[in-house]
Amino acid sequence: MLEMRGIHKRYGPVHANRNIDLTVPLGKIVGLLGENGSGKSTLMKVLFGIVRADAGSITYKGRVLAGHSPRESIAAGIGMIHQHFMLVEAMTVTENIMLGWTRAGRWLRPREIAELIDGASCTYGLDVDPHATVGRLPYGQRQRVEIMKAILRGADLLVLDEPTSNLSPPEAGRLLEAMRRLREQGRSVIFISHKLGEVLDICDDIVVLRDGEVTGRCSAAGATRAELAHMMVGRDVTTPIHRVSRDPGPEILAVTGLLHTDESGVERLREVSFSLQTGEILAVAGVDGNGQADLVDAIAGLQRPDQGRVSLAGRDITRWSVQARLAAGLSYIPVDRSGTSIVPGMTVEDNLALREFNRVPLSRWCRLDRAGFRALAASGIARFGIRAGGPDAPARTLSGGNQQKIVVAREVGRNPRVLLAFQPTWGLDPGATRFVIDQVLALRQAGGAILYISAELDEVLTLGDRIAVMYNGRLSEPVRREETDRTTVGLMMGGFAPT
Amino acid sequence: MSEDRSARVNEVDAADGGAMATATRHALEALAAADWLRAVVLASVAVALALGVTAVLIAISGKNPLVAYAAMVRGAVGSIDRIAFALNKSTPYILGGVGVALCFRARVINIGAEGQIAVGGIAATWVALNIAASSGAIVIPAAIVAAALGGAGWAAFAATIRLTRGVHEVLCTLLLNFVGLLLVSEALHGPMGEPGAGFPQSPLFKRPAWLPHLLAGTDLHIGILIAVFAIVACHLLLWRTTFGFRLRVLGASPAAAAYAGVSFPRCAFAVMALAGGLAGIAGGIEVLGVHYRLIEGFSLGFGFNAVAVALLASINPIAVLPAGLFLGFLEAGALAMQREVGVPSSLVFVIQGLTMVFVLCAIGIGIRQQRV
Repeated sequence: MLEMRGIHKRYGPVHANRNIDLTVPLGKIVGLLGENGSGKSTLMKVLFGIVRADAGSITYKGRVLAGHSPRESIAAGIGMIHQHFMLVEAMTVTENIMLGWTRAGRWLRPREIAELIDGASCTYGLDVDPHATVGRLPYGQRQRVEIMKAILRGADLLVLDEPTSNLSPPEAGRLLEAMRRLREQGRSVIFISHKLGEVLDICDDIVVLRDGEVTGRCSAAGATRAELAHMMVGRDVTTPIHRVSRDPGPEILAVTGLLHTDESGVERLREVSFSLQTGEILAVAGVDGNGQADLVDAIAGLQRPDQGRVSLAGRDITRWSVQARLAAGLSYIPVDRSGTSIVPGMTVEDNLALREFNRVPLSRWCRLDRAGFRALAASGIARFGIRAGGPDAPARTLSGGNQQKIVVAREVGRNPRVLLAFQPTWGLDPGATRFVIDQVLALRQAGGAILYISAELDEVLTLGDRIAVMYNGRLSEPVRREETDRTTVGLMMGGFAPT
Repeated sequence: MSEDRSARVNEVDAADGGAMATATRHALEALAAADWLRAVVLASVAVALALGVTAVLIAISGKNPLVAYAAMVRGAVGSIDRIAFALNKSTPYILGGVGVALCFRARVINIGAEGQIAVGGIAATWVALNIAASSGAIVIPAAIVAAALGGAGWAAFAATIRLTRGVHEVLCTLLLNFVGLLLVSEALHGPMGEPGAGFPQSPLFKRPAWLPHLLAGTDLHIGILIAVFAIVACHLLLWRTTFGFRLRVLGASPAAAAYAGVSFPRCAFAVMALAGGLAGIAGGIEVLGVHYRLIEGFSLGFGFNAVAVALLASINPIAVLPAGLFLGFLEAGALAMQREVGVPSSLVFVIQGLTMVFVLCAIGIGIRQQRV
């Protein structure tokens, strides 16, 4: 149904796409697998007409698409579901679907449209209430509204860009189910992901991209995770995680009764309490936006909680400054790299020194010691294998994985007593993910205590000595990893209390 | 086990990345050099475009643009006297501009240089009129320090309003400009005014309070040296001190600054006070070195020019020096152009304005590439 041939796209010196062929047959789900920056998004932008390819041809349903606009793509029957939704929050589902849809007619007929929505809801198992206000819907439902929008506009080919990254496992399962139904109805899907399990689970064909080139194609039947991972990163990364059992030591971090309400009056933290022991990883699962950010910010000192207490090694640090907490041995890897944990415009060495620049040996009195910076950079680059043009290369010239290595070098390299790791593998390819995980485990082995917050079920289950789930501002009672399982944690992430 | 692994990672990197890393480094160095070159090229193109458009305006007013520009060049650099005049003109722009540049670095939009210069001038005047020392070695430093304190206090006032009451700094610095200018009038119509003069001005300072001249026989005073010293100091401050590091992080990303434990209120207050101090010194130099008295409206337009200089220099302290000189010479030349050719000197504001527009467009092109 869709044939893309020899697609070339260059951004300056970077080949985002190099001679890529992609075929999507009718009624099939094609997985597009690749690390960040491998060219998946560029290829889809070319398909949808957001960017123009330098060379190559696109044929869709026998028609050649060239120099087309997104509007023409939609008219031709291609639907694209972006990670950021294009919905008006104040409007209902029906209104959103009518919005900008010329075939809905000049006169609004909300009732007919609502019936259409109900019908499609049943056919595809999308379960969308046409009268609900979009602003009140959770992420997963908004996504289904977007899919509905595309289907009703006549999309026979749906492009889903990393659709499961913000979903709880039950919601992700529903999405995959809806995709199967779409396939049954004879529609095709391009599923972009870097999650091997999901791709293997649902796709018919898989195309793997690396550095803008196709490095592998196979049918999902018969492919293995290891093979796919190898194609994705070009080397083996699936050696099992080496995890030594270790008895936790004394309590080092205690959090009691944290309460926080944000400016718009939403309760972000509701009575969050837990304790953390040395040599232990407490893994907190949860879908993004359930209060995790407020929790880590409160512990790291970036935000004062309204109530509650944080103590480190027996001392109350609730009112301490960020710098004082840092000096007391509290490290923090925030989720947002570009702009929080990394300053893209600053050099690698400045970024390595970002949090301790005002201490010996990086400065004396008020004078920066450039030699100290250089030494720190040299050791960080060597020990953590940061690939950079040099210590004075701007951080923005580094790949995401290498930027995260800077953060890890800075936060883990100082051997902290407590490490707050907030989705430290977010947006990283398998190789870099593995690196981060190994470093976290090494820190645990050395006696560090780690609060590991993640939306990835696999990570939580493999890393946590104890596991808790954050949902709607509440933290569940942490349980030992042996006492829980995938299904339970998955359900709790979706808000179902354990039975 | 972890070291084992990281060692292995290094090996991998060394194996396939050694040659590449070297190549990349060379490429990046070339790029960094090109960045610098690009800034100069962009600024020059902007200036050339501005001069070109103004030439059209001059032609429309019935004069020959080439003749006018020749007069302008002669007026700016035609003789030692003229160069001295232009350097004196540049001094307040440089001092004000470098302070504004530091503020902009930390995303503090200080447009209050004009008021800070005014208050600095008042403070210097007060010292010059009231300290009856016979030696310039006492009066001048005392007056300059007073000017710095006055300007710093004025900026700190704005910063306090910003930080405690949440009034945006653009608003409070801008409005305090008017207050500062009116303070000068108030002082001249009251306690500092020259009795019997029909003009709002203070009495002429006594000789020891006049800034010494650099070149005998010209008007060139030591202000330009102070300005150059300030540039070097600010450059070192920005790149070599923890305070400069804080400013750079703050300017690059407020979120990263919070994460690094950099306090915005403290830094904003300090950088405002510093910029105010520099502007105050500029005001002091104006009264002590150019007019030898306080006169009404002596700081008019300086605040705008300081912002212009800071932007022209892409908020880089070192680059403030050429930018400030450029503006000073441009203005000196334009005054000569007016005298000799009869082209209205208001055209200099046109050139300035157009240069700013073109430079800002150029900065817009290059802003993503900026290094902090």
